[in-house]
Amino acid sequence: MKGFSKLLALIALLGTTAATSAEESDVELIVSKANHIAFYQGNDGRAESRMLITDGGGNKQVRQFTILRKDHSGSDDADQDFLVLFSRPSDVRNTMFRVIKHIGKSDDRWLYLPGLDLVKRISSGDKRTSFVGSHFFYEDISGRSLSADQHELLENTDQYYVVKNTPIDPTSVEFAFYTVWIDKQNWMPTKTEYTDNAGKIYRRIEALEVKDINGFATATRMKASDLRSGGATLTEMRYISYDIGLPDEVFSERSLRNPPQQWFKRK
Amino acid sequence: MIKQHLINFAFQQPKRVFLLMLVAVIIFAAMMPKIIIDTDPENMLPSDQEDRVFHEAVKHKFGINDLIVVGMIKKGPQGIYNTRSLGVLHQLSQQILNIEGIVPQDVLSLATVDNISQDGPGTIRFQWMMNQPPTSDTVAGEIRSAVENLPFLNNTIVSPDGIATAIYIPILHKDQSYRIVAEVEDIIDSLDSDDSFYITGLPVAEDTFGVEMFLQMATSAPVAGLLVFLMMWYFFRSLSLIASPMILAMVTIICTMGLLIGMGYTVHIMSSMIMIFLMPIAVVDSVHLLSEFSDRYHKGTSPEAAMREVIDHLYKPMLYTSLTSAIGFAALALTPIPPVQVFGLFIAFGVMLAFFLTITFIPAYVISLSPERLQELAETTPQDDNNSLLAKRLKALGKGSLARPKILISAFLLITVASIMGVSKIIINDNPFQWFQESHRLRVADKILNQHFAGTYNAFIVLEQRNDPELQAAFEEKTTAILEQAKSQSIDLSPLWQQLLQSADEIVLSEYSASIYPQFLQNLVLKIDDQLFAADDEHVEYLEALLESTEGVLNTSKYFQQPEALAYIEALQESLLTTGIVGKSNAVTDVVKTVYRELNEGTPDFYRIPDSSAAVAQTLLSYQSSHRPQDLWRLVTPNQRSASIWLQLKSGDNVDMSQVIAHVDDYIASHPLPAGVEMRWAGLTYINVVWQEAMVKGMVTSLLGAFFVVSLMMIVLFRSILFGLLAMIPLSATILFIYGIVGWAGKDYDMPVAILSALSLGLSVDFAIHFVQRLREMVDKQGSFEKAIPLMFEQPARAISRNAIVIAIGFLPLLLSPLVPYNTVGMFLAAIMIISCLTTLVILPILMTYLKGFLFNKAQENS
Repeated sequence: MKGFSKLLALIALLGTTAATSAEESDVELIVSKANHIAFYQGNDGRAESRMLITDGGGNKQVRQFTILRKDHSGSDDADQDFLVLFSRPSDVRNTMFRVIKHIGKSDDRWLYLPGLDLVKRISSGDKRTSFVGSHFFYEDISGRSLSADQHELLENTDQYYVVKNTPIDPTSVEFAFYTVWIDKQNWMPTKTEYTDNAGKIYRRIEALEVKDINGFATATRMKASDLRSGGATLTEMRYISYDIGLPDEVFSERSLRNPPQQWFKRK
Repeated sequence: MIKQHLINFAFQQPKRVFLLMLVAVIIFAAMMPKIIIDTDPENMLPSDQEDRVFHEAVKHKFGINDLIVVGMIKKGPQGIYNTRSLGVLHQLSQQILNIEGIVPQDVLSLATVDNISQDGPGTIRFQWMMNQPPTSDTVAGEIRSAVENLPFLNNTIVSPDGIATAIYIPILHKDQSYRIVAEVEDIIDSLDSDDSFYITGLPVAEDTFGVEMFLQMATSAPVAGLLVFLMMWYFFRSLSLIASPMILAMVTIICTMGLLIGMGYTVHIMSSMIMIFLMPIAVVDSVHLLSEFSDRYHKGTSPEAAMREVIDHLYKPMLYTSLTSAIGFAALALTPIPPVQVFGLFIAFGVMLAFFLTITFIPAYVISLSPERLQELAETTPQDDNNSLLAKRLKALGKGSLARPKILISAFLLITVASIMGVSKIIINDNPFQWFQESHRLRVADKILNQHFAGTYNAFIVLEQRNDPELQAAFEEKTTAILEQAKSQSIDLSPLWQQLLQSADEIVLSEYSASIYPQFLQNLVLKIDDQLFAADDEHVEYLEALLESTEGVLNTSKYFQQPEALAYIEALQESLLTTGIVGKSNAVTDVVKTVYRELNEGTPDFYRIPDSSAAVAQTLLSYQSSHRPQDLWRLVTPNQRSASIWLQLKSGDNVDMSQVIAHVDDYIASHPLPAGVEMRWAGLTYINVVWQEAMVKGMVTSLLGAFFVVSLMMIVLFRSILFGLLAMIPLSATILFIYGIVGWAGKDYDMPVAILSALSLGLSVDFAIHFVQRLREMVDKQGSFEKAIPLMFEQPARAISRNAIVIAIGFLPLLLSPLVPYNTVGMFLAAIMIISCLTTLVILPILMTYLKGFLFNKAQENS
């Protein structure tokens, strides 16, 4: 396996003419591969997610939702469509998020609130806000642009590539840098730690369980911990399927108010 | 007799007395390093006291911490909304986040909060309010309008006039406040700024008081000691003689404090004052002893004989004055406040120790003086003394007062009546900020920041829905119906259902959770959901029905997202503003209304509570997509069973807090709480009221109790009801006059003033005991009251007034202390001394002249 990854790196190196050093392109390849594994498996997919949010005082909340995802055709690991439909708690049932993820510009985000019968567009200048009160950020769910950070391979152990990511625009984020542990077995980023300006690690995201689903390595249990408050969110992904043939129309504005039940329904 | 043994031991083996004292001092001083300092006024309440336990639970439940408030002020039309000030504020906020012992994620400042705003038609935007310092005054102006648009920020982090902004720093432990403030001050000093900075907050006041208090222990107490020493030197002119009371006082203090620390008690605000209280009491008896000794000891007489004679005279009054002082303080144990109990009992111990040392150490010391020293003493004092200014004045006082009894008694009665009126005017009030003088930087900061902001003092009204039994009944009714329906179709779900119920019950419950039933329902929902995946087809229909019922009950349990519940809070908030003390209150209603308005294009008409529970839930869900979703849980618990209303009070005075409490009580009486809802208070400002009330009540009990016991002792001591009651007059007058002055001066009856009633009681009876005892001896000796009374204004009056002067003047340096309780002690000591000395020397002789027929019949018959 180790030999295989070296081979991959070599192939990438040959193909990348702009690379100024072997080291640099090595790390670029690693992060883009990991990015692919974490966010771009298959052409589309469906999953049910259950979040258990525990705050520092031990209070618990639940968020349960179904995600539909489709990659835009013709681009590799780039723009994507998402629909997120909430089912629990029951007072937010049928609340819907619609996201068009763009590489190189801000995402488009809409929200439908059935209790207010209101469709809102959400300005997404900043993606590092909480995802519905959990310890995950929007960016953790949809992925952070690879070009937003400088990547540096800190360590190359038997099991992991350890990559340090330093933001190119430090004013846009609350961290000084973050470190990702990428599993050499399956390219899954299994642990991410965020360090603040004082040099303290204050936030951690972990893939607690990775399963093979339809041949794709998939993180099925993830945990985001706020080390300052002691709070954490555990996300369980269930009923996952890839390449289910989601039509483009599913991701239309119309779906906000009228969820395409045939795709959301558990099969 | 023990007394004789002790005194003989002292005369025969003075060296052993010194050695024993030295050993005791070494042992007790060795315990001192174990000192644990505790400056938290919360500890005025026992740790298991109901309100305190609830306050602690509320802090955990809502994740609330005690706050330090840093204010920044920039005068001018733009106020702080200019690039330079905001740049400084940004830098300061960022650096504060790195201080140890704070809760960085909960720091509130312009640089750390979120802005919710419109971003074009139909678009809502969550962004940092001031992620970066503004680059132009236009951007600064935009920040201003954004803040003014958000009710939960306006008047909390920036004053409405834009002149002041605040950083609220939550801290993990109150006892770290002083250090954290010092670090904040260091950061401020390093900033290039022309703004003014002020730091306030109750924890700062409390912790700063603690630090400065120990500073005072190290400065005021020794300075007072020095002055007492100088005063004694003025009267006795013999350094070697007066060294003994000072040594005695030191030994008493070291042993008492050492014992307190050694027994594991913390040195609290109260116990730190033990030194200050013990010093005068310890010195008083030995001054009597030495005063008498220096009057009696003449050239050629043996010092031992003179001393024995003096002790013979003074043993009884000294024992009784010590006992009365000890009882006055020990009675503080009746107060339900642990630090006050410790304070009272250890002073009582110290007082008795001082008495014991007075009758052993002082004689041992005096007879150990070299013959030359004693020679000097014999030559200087007696002649001088009878002709000294004080001696002449006292004789004149005795003659003068007895010549105009009617005028003086009338004046005395007049003052008594005025004092009673004054006492009725007393305002019971306290505020840790008032423990500092007005010019203290904390007082200044407190005043200025409360002028600009809604208020820097916090209290919380906590509302809790406790209708769990109803929820359970609804749940059981619904689910039983479904199970029975299944049974009628011959599907037995019971075993599965029991299993699900059990697994949902196996949860770790937060000990602070007011309502555990909703947690059970939520778990059950997840368990049924899991079960559905594996369920048999025929079960699915019923499991889904059970799931729906469970979710339905869970949904109704979320009480504080129901519009009616929020409407109640909203109305209560509005009513609070009419008190004039609550500058602002913050509750979940404010978040709901603001976000609802922003979801509706920012239209002011939508600044209201939405019409349905689901609409509220979804409004709050939207709010949680911000940078600080956790701010919501400071106001309502995630299960929506408890809500807290954060009151910002302009004043931390207990009278004001009590007024707010009374207002809320009235409001609830006329607007009953919704069914199942309970209301309670939390917050430091509230806790202060609780312990004050406990203390005031306790003080009355202990004062009355001690007064009664001391009266009985007087009657026993003099074996006469009439003499006993007469001896109580100076004490009663002193306490009455002092508290009358407190009332007329408008000084608040606060913690130090309350505690001083014990000191007044203990000290002001002393002179009367000495006076009455000596007078009776004198009458016995001289044969008649008329012959005896002028002699009372010689030696006895001198001893009394020397004492009064030494203590009154000796403790005047306390008036220079920056801490008000120390000033109060200084004032009280002077007042106690002057009033009890004057009533003893002026009023007692007049009354005795009137009553001599009843008082001395027997004495004269006997003689």
